[in-house]
Amino acid sequence: MAGSKTILFVEDDRPISEMYARLLIKAGFEVDFAYDGLEALAKSATKSYDLILLDIMMPGKSGIEVLHELRKNPGFNATRIIILTNLAQDKTSQEAIRSQADGYLVKADIIPSQLMAVVKEILS
Amino acid sequence: MQPTAFKRQTLALFFIVSLIPALVVAAVWYLQTSSSNTAVLIVSFKSFILPVMLLGIIPAVLLSFIFAELLTRPIRTIHDAVSKLADGNFLHAGDTDQEGEFGEIGLSLIQLSRVLEQTLSETKSQSDLVAAERNKLRGVLNSMTDGVFALDAAGRIILFNHAAAKLTGRTIAEAGGQLAEKVIPLRQKGELVMTRWLATERGADHKVGQWDGLELYRADGSSLYVNVQAVVLPHDPNGIDALITFHDVTAGHELEEMKVDFVALAAHELRTPLTEVRGYLDILRHDLKRLTKDETSLLNHAVSSAEQLGGLINNLLSVARIEHGEINYLPEIINYRAFLIELMAALEDRGRLTGRKVSLKLPAQVPNILADTVGLREIIRNLVDNGLIHTAPGGHVVVSVEQTGSLITTHVSDDGEGIPPGAINKLFTKFYRVNELTNPTRGTGLGLFICRQIVEAHGGTISVITAVGKGTTFSFTMPQAPIAPSDKAGHNKITTRGAHGWIKDHSVR
Repeated sequence: MAGSKTILFVEDDRPISEMYARLLIKAGFEVDFAYDGLEALAKSATKSYDLILLDIMMPGKSGIEVLHELRKNPGFNATRIIILTNLAQDKTSQEAIRSQADGYLVKADIIPSQLMAVVKEILS
Repeated sequence: MQPTAFKRQTLALFFIVSLIPALVVAAVWYLQTSSSNTAVLIVSFKSFILPVMLLGIIPAVLLSFIFAELLTRPIRTIHDAVSKLADGNFLHAGDTDQEGEFGEIGLSLIQLSRVLEQTLSETKSQSDLVAAERNKLRGVLNSMTDGVFALDAAGRIILFNHAAAKLTGRTIAEAGGQLAEKVIPLRQKGELVMTRWLATERGADHKVGQWDGLELYRADGSSLYVNVQAVVLPHDPNGIDALITFHDVTAGHELEEMKVDFVALAAHELRTPLTEVRGYLDILRHDLKRLTKDETSLLNHAVSSAEQLGGLINNLLSVARIEHGEINYLPEIINYRAFLIELMAALEDRGRLTGRKVSLKLPAQVPNILADTVGLREIIRNLVDNGLIHTAPGGHVVVSVEQTGSLITTHVSDDGEGIPPGAINKLFTKFYRVNELTNPTRGTGLGLFICRQIVEAHGGTISVITAVGKGTTFSFTMPQAPIAPSDKAGHNKITTRGAHGWIKDHSVR
């Protein structure tokens, strides 16, 4: 059982985040939600997460900006950060590689059970 | 009586008359010397011989004039005639003498003049005809709405019609004698395709080249899209080496671009709700453990349709990206065995959902290949989808791999309906669908177009072998990865890129 592993799900579209989180919660992960970039930074500052799933297009701060700030802080070295976005262009994918994301997933191409498989593997 | 004979008699008569005084003087002279009387001689000289001698001189002088006149006149006539001819005037019957040797020369001159006149008038009428034809041709060329220009062997413009001037924004005077690629640069993705073709085909008899949607930069910097046809004309008497016509299709091209943009936008907007449909169907499949067989079948049907819709939307977006040249393929070393096994799990699932069987047949050794994972996945997914669409329920789609030298060929075979021979040529073109009328709902006609674009972007080829009623095999090639296959596949920095994005591998972190 994954049990103690914590995940911060950063996504401004609630139905989408609830849909993806549903199977993760059922599998025993502890999932918190943030609905924009600033909230994501605030929450991650107060609690240590094993994994942050990060959308890109959000009001306020974009996921890429959040990624930059988190990666500047050595306190987040152990935190896995996976981009989960609708932007399928190579350009943003390359940007995510440069910004030291641990993964880049396109929402339209991944169903919840696939996401769960990826998360289970990365946190194992 | 002949005029010549008359003149000769007159001449002879004058001659005889002029001889009379001389004869008289000679006779008197003889009589005087025989009588030996000097006085009589002197008297006689003064009173008789002198007048007689004077009398003889006059006809002699007259005679010499007549002689001179008779001798030089024909020569002068001939000279006048030749001068007239030299001045460009033709001779007529009265222009020379008709008699004697000079008469014959005169006649010959007139004959020559006549032949000359005839030849010249024939040549003139021919050149008039040529000029008329040339005017007619110029009229036709200039009334055409398509641009037309001709090149000489050096690739310089020697003919340029009004439409060409209008379409390129350059005057005929500006274009004449210039290199075609300077005045009318026709490019396909930045390449001067026609110029290159002409360079290789120069001299090939009546060979025709055709290009659609070439970009033409006008003199003012704006651009047009044109369809171009070029024909090579070796040994042309006018020195035309190649004749090129081009047709403005800018309006259609812009419409096509708007269509692609609209489709891309619509497809993108469809993605978000589809993500949720697929997501919740997936959750239902996992959450609902105890379903009846019937309920499972209904749910599977919904999942299968959502997957199909997802594939269509992805294809529409891919075409838009291909059309805009936005896809950059990043070939990387792929453990092809692992890649295929992972990909086939999803495709076998799709086959099961649609009541068909998808299977993978791999040889003992599968080399690593060099390809873009996203592109490779799209090719195989499209070919398998295509097989599923064109196979009856219960049919089979088999993916297999074969190595020939440094090329890896992947076959996707089905035992479906096959493709009629007439359709094969158009198979890989955009929006083409076999049996469009009988099966209007099957596919968008984009899958094979996308496959070909991706395969060719990798430097590979895609081909098809088919038999109506028996089935179809699509085969595409990809290069083998330069490094020998090893068990290092699991140590690639990015292991699952292409499946649903990418995830860094942590074994090397």
